[in-house]
Amino acid sequence: MSVIELEDVVKRYPSGEGFVEALKEVDFHANKGEMVTVIGPSGSGKSTMLNIIGLLDTPTAGTVRHEGRDVSEFSEDELTEERRSGIGFVFQEFHLLPMLSATENVELPSMWDTSVDRHDRAVDLLERVGLGDRLDHTPDRLSGGQKQRVAIARALINEPDIVLADEPTGNLDQDTGRTILEELTRLKDEENVAIVAVTHDDQMLDYADRVVRIVDGVIGDAEVPA
Amino acid sequence: MSVSDLLWRYPSALMAWRNLGRNRLRTGLAALGIVIGVVAIASIGMAGAAIQQQATSNLGDLASEVTVRAGEDSETDGLTDDQIEEIRDIAGDDATVVPQKSNSTEITSRNGEQGLIRVTALTEASLMYNVTAGQSPDRLQSGALIGEDVADQLGLELGDPVSYEGQLYRIIGFIGAEGGGFGSFSPRELVLPTSALSDQQYYDSATIVAEDGDAAEAIANDLEAEFNQESRGEEQEVLSVQNFANVQEQINSFLGTLNLALIGIGSISLLVASVAILNVMLMSTIERRGEIGVLRAVGVRRYEVLRMILTEAAFLGVVGGLAGAVIALGIGMLLYEVLIGAPLQVFGWASSQYLVWGFVFAVVASLLSGVYPAWKAANDPPVESLRG
Repeated sequence: MSVIELEDVVKRYPSGEGFVEALKEVDFHANKGEMVTVIGPSGSGKSTMLNIIGLLDTPTAGTVRHEGRDVSEFSEDELTEERRSGIGFVFQEFHLLPMLSATENVELPSMWDTSVDRHDRAVDLLERVGLGDRLDHTPDRLSGGQKQRVAIARALINEPDIVLADEPTGNLDQDTGRTILEELTRLKDEENVAIVAVTHDDQMLDYADRVVRIVDGVIGDAEVPA
Repeated sequence: MSVSDLLWRYPSALMAWRNLGRNRLRTGLAALGIVIGVVAIASIGMAGAAIQQQATSNLGDLASEVTVRAGEDSETDGLTDDQIEEIRDIAGDDATVVPQKSNSTEITSRNGEQGLIRVTALTEASLMYNVTAGQSPDRLQSGALIGEDVADQLGLELGDPVSYEGQLYRIIGFIGAEGGGFGSFSPRELVLPTSALSDQQYYDSATIVAEDGDAAEAIANDLEAEFNQESRGEEQEVLSVQNFANVQEQINSFLGTLNLALIGIGSISLLVASVAILNVMLMSTIERRGEIGVLRAVGVRRYEVLRMILTEAAFLGVVGGLAGAVIALGIGMLLYEVLIGAPLQVFGWASSQYLVWGFVFAVVASLLSGVYPAWKAANDPPVESLRG
């Protein structure tokens, strides 16, 4: 079963007198243990699609299913709950909170949930991405690659079934980007999660199980990397 | 153990504490506004309480006294023996009635200095006067008391004789000032036994010394009802009854109103401070828009974001309010030292309540200032706020 499924999804934004149609009847799905890379020129609608997959935005028309449940009509609070329990995010800008240590940043998504203590899992995840000696460092004392590893650990803290990555290597040099992608791939297999990544970075294609191209809000032919 | 360790169980509080720590100067300045507001409110309130307390202690004994004189409609030119007896009956056993006759005379000292002085003849001298030197007889049968300032002026000492109507009286005590406040002087008065003015038929006045202000007021009312009944549609004033409990009440009520008005002015500074907090909170949530978007994206609920920002505002109020209360307490102790001479009386509820109120207002004002920024941040759609 697909973790996430878009069916005939349309997204329109009001613009001037009329509308801009960012997504035109898009169908998309991602399975557990699969890395799907979404490519396309800027303005093609790939960020809009990622926002809808991440339940940060709702479609104008069409159906979104998360783990088989239709979430198109969910309220903001229900969507928040869905994101907390099932979706991890990795951003191009890392988006770590500067006043929290690496461990605290990883724990952030579970911090308000007093029913579970994710501290041990946070430490375990940081050790697994090679930051066992940086647990108490604040983001300003970490390099770009280290920050992105903290962000990856944060995305996985609540044992999600899907991780969304928006240009995860966009702010990193080639070599660091490569190690981050290796890390992501390894954790994807270990944790059995789906990864949907939006990128301009060609080397990401090497790690993708499936590549989806989007142009002008329309999903094109899928290519399978060599 | 740091504050963060204590707050770990309370994520909103922990995040709020860390956020405030990010820009210490800004946080400090916002809290300083609150400090000034609380100091203004609390120290004005405590100054008022101190002045009120001083006024009460100056009036002191006066409040529990009732003074009776012959009224406009009296048939006699003073209080008769019968009236004094009747007044004694009404006043009851717990109050002492001190009938007095008075006159004035010129006295001459040994060195030839002359001075005009009030002469009062009564028996219960110790009850009526604050004797600072010599004897203070419960029943004045012989000898005389004299105000210490006038005695000083005339060069009179204890044991010296003064003459009145050809009769010599030996000075047995000096009368000091009443109360203890500023600007009180010893009375320019010569106090003699009743026998000295026995040729006056009536008493000029009677002072009733009651247990306390309430008892004095009750006696005054009873006297009015007994003596000053209406007759032929007109109010009769056989006795003029004067009670200072009323005066004290009026002074207190006036001071209370004045104090409230001043506190009102003081609270403007707290209002200004809360506008400053509103501004700081709004700025900081706008600056942190992207971060709040991340929180919302990773599944932090709207009310949790709201609570976090409200907690930040509350922390500003609590920290500023506490600091303000401590400073105001220092100012209050100084005021009580200067006005009353007892700095520790500042801890009495009459004045310390203003510390509590100042603190409570500070926290409430800060929380109110945090409501709009918190609401705005919490309801920003995460897609929008993630763009920063």
